[in-house]
Amino acid sequence: MKYINDPNRMQIEIIKRTYMLSIIPIVYALIAGEFETLLGFILGLIISTLLLRLRVLNIERSLDMPEGKADTFIRNRYFIEYLIYFAVLVVAKRNPSLNFLATAVGLFMMKFTVIIWAIFDMAKGGLQNKLKDYKDLKEDKYEKGGQ
Amino acid sequence: MVEFSPEVIDTVIRAAALLGAGFAMIAGIGPGIGQGYAAGKAVESVARDPEARGNIITTMLLGQAVAESTGIYSLVIAIVLIFTI
Repeated sequence: MKYINDPNRMQIEIIKRTYMLSIIPIVYALIAGEFETLLGFILGLIISTLLLRLRVLNIERSLDMPEGKADTFIRNRYFIEYLIYFAVLVVAKRNPSLNFLATAVGLFMMKFTVIIWAIFDMAKGGLQNKLKDYKDLKEDKYEKGGQ
Repeated sequence: MVEFSPEVIDTVIRAAALLGAGFAMIAGIGPGIGQGYAAGKAVESVARDPEARGNIITTMLLGQAVAESTGIYSLVIAIVLIFTI
């Protein structure tokens, strides 16, 4: 993840992995016949995808500004995004055909994916390092044994 | 011992829930300040090394996406407190 330098590619990767991870709760909701959960989850997922795109555009715009102005700009945009989250959650709470918790989980899916991805990368890196150390140790022993 | 009527107890519980929702919303301010600060520093970094722009954007995107979660947690708690009780 940290080796992707292109923001557009990163965005597509995040969205792709989030949707792949979201298949599990969607299939579960379909099998269980909980359509409120399914609708709420899909609503949350769509809103979080759109907000990710909005965030990328905001970040790209902020990098062309002076430091102080970028600071204020991103802060203001965060509060606008916060209002959007609030509106979505209130709609989910008041509408009986949407499950509130499923909507919240849908909104969080993007963050869960990023965290799970980072943990996976970290574990993979650690495992590879351990394997390399083990191979080096084995080669050293072999060389010493040969002498 | 003073005994309160059910209406009074109900009102007190509702007031406490609304107060709790208000306190929970304080947590929404922190990520905004943090994200703004990070954006300022990102601008500084791009000015220093324009070639690292893509890398800075991706790092900032991931950081902001995760930093925002605590704000949304508080929002969810506040909405539950407001609408459930």
